[in-house]
Amino acid sequence: MNGMTKPDADAPLIERVKSGDVKAFEMLVVKYQRRIERLIGRMVRDVDLVPDIAQETFIRAYRAIPQFRGDSAFYTWLYRIAVNTAKKTLMELKRDPLVSESARGGRDEDDDNASRVENELSDGETPDAVLASKQIASAVNFAIEALSDDLRQAITLREIEGLSYEEIAELMNCPIGTVRSRIFRAREAIALRLRPLLDTRDGERW
Amino acid sequence: MLMNSESDAAARERLSALVDGELEDRAVAQACAHWRESPASRATWHSYQLIGDVLRSDDLAADAARDARFVAMLRARLATEPVVLAPQPVGASRPDAHAETARAVSASSRRWSWMAPSAVAAGFVAVAGVLTLTRTSDVAVPDRPAATGLAQATPGLAGPVLARSTLVGSPSAPEPQTFVANGELIRDARLDRYLAAHKQFAGSTALGVPSGFLRNATAEAVGR
Repeated sequence: MNGMTKPDADAPLIERVKSGDVKAFEMLVVKYQRRIERLIGRMVRDVDLVPDIAQETFIRAYRAIPQFRGDSAFYTWLYRIAVNTAKKTLMELKRDPLVSESARGGRDEDDDNASRVENELSDGETPDAVLASKQIASAVNFAIEALSDDLRQAITLREIEGLSYEEIAELMNCPIGTVRSRIFRAREAIALRLRPLLDTRDGERW
Repeated sequence: MLMNSESDAAARERLSALVDGELEDRAVAQACAHWRESPASRATWHSYQLIGDVLRSDDLAADAARDARFVAMLRARLATEPVVLAPQPVGASRPDAHAETARAVSASSRRWSWMAPSAVAAGFVAVAGVLTLTRTSDVAVPDRPAATGLAQATPGLAGPVLARSTLVGSPSAPEPQTFVANGELIRDARLDRYLAAHKQFAGSTALGVPSGFLRNATAEAVGR
């Protein structure tokens, strides 16, 4: 890691995982599961395989985390594991004709449209789930627009531009504590809008 | 109730800072503990992460129930995995997470702390044995009468050590018989003949002992 590289935001959790805190690894899973599944979904056309490969990716990452030295960002490292796991799975599918046949429905370009849709929506991506995803995206975008300028700027600089609190404080000409508070309040406001879509009661599913 | 709400808000603010990797080291443990213990805290963590993902890309908007199922499945698999314990860099400080590890290391250090003095003592015994051997070997040699005193002064120590050193000093010779009876050394005459025959090769060291025997006996002691 060169001197110009920003410290990895995941470093505190990774340190805890390395010292035996499995729950800290779950926190990282919650953070990255969607990105990892999207990545795998672009490599593996059988959507049924995506969650399994994503699970395998995280298990491999957990086993290998003592070797993670922080030379790259944690997500970069996880990304490589996901790509290798997906490639390995695809190779195994080619070697195993039975598995290939069962998975062919999701990969065969000649399949009719209905069959393809059925396969693509076979795991969690039911029409309801797709609709829920769209509603979540709309709610977040709507909530962002409803924020005050200060809160919107703070959360945008952090989440989209990836700036540190110190950099945001410099840009917004305010103390770091204020940046932290603004980002927190922005998240709270957005989460409040999302709550009806995410769950009926706090913590019911978590 | 108000206090509780305030503390919940403070806990959520800590989670928010942890999402960004901006939480102070000493508060990370507190935030993680809250995450472990509180389902609401876990839901909040998921919400904050989902908000970040959706802000970066609408593609990442996902049904929360699906995310929860994924984590539940992974949790079950992680439960069967051995707990990760990576070597920590020197000077790393995570008091709570490492408290147990530190206790284990401390116990281990205490367990090994007696090794150094024991090694010194063993070395002393080996040297004393060599000295005893070389001095007592002079018993049968008329021109070294003064050596007798050392062997007699430490009869208990000289006996067993002498027997070992003798074996090393004459590896190709027939095994000599050496006994201690009533505090006096009774030795095989063949050993005395051997020592006398090789006396001309013996140099003198700073310890005043024949260097040839010192080397042999020391090598054996280290080998053990």
